[in-house]
Amino acid sequence: MDNDAIDARELHKVFTTRVGFWSGKTKTTVAVESVSFNVRRGELFGLLGPNGAGKTTTVKMLSTILLPTAGGASILGLDVVKQTQAVRERIGFTFGGARGLYGRLSAADNLRYFAELYGLEPTVTRKRISELLNLVGLADRSEDRVETFSSGMQQRLHLARALLHDPELIFLDEPTVGIDPVGARELRKTVKELVARGKTVLLTTHYMAEAEELCDRIAIINKGRVVALDTPAALKKRISGDSVFDIEIKDCDLAAFQGQLQRLDGHLSIQVTDVDPNKKISIRTPRREEVMQLLAPFLSSQQILNLEVRNQTLEDVYVSIIQGEAA
Amino acid sequence: MIRRALRLVGRQMNVQLRIRTFNLYSSLLFFLQPAIFSGVGMILSRAAGNEKPDLVYMVIGGGLLGMWSGMVFTSTFDIGRDRRDGMLELIVASPTSLGTVEAIRTLTNVLAGLVSMLAAFLVAMLIFDYSLADADIPGVVISLIMILFGIWAMGVFLANFTVWSRVSGSYVEFLEIPIPLLCGFMYPLGILPVWMQTLSAVIPIRWALEALNGALLGKQSMAFLLSHWGMALLLSLIFWGLSRWLEGKVHDRIRVTGEMSSI
Repeated sequence: MDNDAIDARELHKVFTTRVGFWSGKTKTTVAVESVSFNVRRGELFGLLGPNGAGKTTTVKMLSTILLPTAGGASILGLDVVKQTQAVRERIGFTFGGARGLYGRLSAADNLRYFAELYGLEPTVTRKRISELLNLVGLADRSEDRVETFSSGMQQRLHLARALLHDPELIFLDEPTVGIDPVGARELRKTVKELVARGKTVLLTTHYMAEAEELCDRIAIINKGRVVALDTPAALKKRISGDSVFDIEIKDCDLAAFQGQLQRLDGHLSIQVTDVDPNKKISIRTPRREEVMQLLAPFLSSQQILNLEVRNQTLEDVYVSIIQGEAA
Repeated sequence: MIRRALRLVGRQMNVQLRIRTFNLYSSLLFFLQPAIFSGVGMILSRAAGNEKPDLVYMVIGGGLLGMWSGMVFTSTFDIGRDRRDGMLELIVASPTSLGTVEAIRTLTNVLAGLVSMLAAFLVAMLIFDYSLADADIPGVVISLIMILFGIWAMGVFLANFTVWSRVSGSYVEFLEIPIPLLCGFMYPLGILPVWMQTLSAVIPIRWALEALNGALLGKQSMAFLLSHWGMALLLSLIFWGLSRWLEGKVHDRIRVTGEMSSI
């Protein structure tokens, strides 16, 4: 649709690599099986998924870095395969981590270099670099070498680079990875400002709270397929009414505890993790009161060391969907 | 349009040189190696009782070897570094073509390689009393420009193969030795077997180098110089044309294989 900033249609990507120099054998890896979604103009759209789910490959296909093996996509009404050049002029992107900058150059020189690659006039370049370094809070470090920057500062500089040519659509691939909480919060604030200015943003992240805070809609991608797509609120309603009990219990009491919970078999899901020397049990159930009654004797005998009851978060939804897929 | 192109050339060169400023390896490659090659070559030549023209080959050969090695290694290194640092993807996905960026980079590396020639000449002049008194200076300058253009055209051609895959740069580096061998960097071509001379006829540097040797000795006719410059120019243009053709193929291939990134 013309109103869509992104229209991905059954994107499919296979990588074929040679195994050994002489053998001629090849190994095929399906990175993206079939990914379809659309992002409206001015929307902040999240792409969530575990490592290796195909998020970055999808972003790289949409940003013209990779060619799809099958399927197609339009960016701002332009075909990513046939109108590559026009797409490149209208999008900006960052990839997570410290890569993608010349460490021996200053922040401003890195930006000047990319401004030239994007064909910006010198007057525009000067104005944009000044504006963007202010926006990402690096104005006072503009002439410092990038190799002296922290991960958070480098990520912010990446964002400035992506915005140099004032793109309509921005791909942010795990922009807060490796950044401390304060830096991540500042970056999220900047992303919100971009959307407020009318930019369209596609964000991939591992941080559910970040996705929940920022995104208008979210697609959860697993094993190269979109397995859920909706607003954060609607996704949470998928398992609505459920309560989550996070319990820490002594390891030796686990069997007795699980025996009690079997009474509600079929009405709860349990996830047990080790928290040496104890166990952490996460129970998701719509029968909050009944679980409370079952827990009462364990609480009174102080076998439960810690108990937290809460409503579902996006993370619970995500884990539920991904685990459901695995099952 | 032209101003934009010049700005891009200036910026790319600026970035290239500043990145390399503190790279000791390339400094040695460009300066010390050719000086040593020329020095050792001239000592051996003198020990054998030779004066000109062998000395000419020693002077030019050492310098040219430095220029060629520098171009091959630094161009391969630059692309490998950009692949490792995630810059290659960013350049490919920018509106400026990778071919344009590689052309400017190679030009920077070739021009920086002039330092090698200077180093070789300095050794010859300061240590071995080499003189340019007999040389046809305009002929030397034109021949040198042809050599630079030939090395650049071959560099741009080879850059496509370096970009092609993560390992192909290593194979390009293998060409460091055969090209000087075939082109007679440090000896007259006439001493090579005929089949090797025939093979070298497709390399533009060989023709420009023969012209440079002739101009330095000041004994070659204008017809000789013109024919050699013509061949050098023609072959360089063919390499450049092939590079432009390959550029599109490489651009599409790396977007299929994902080999723009090292991870």
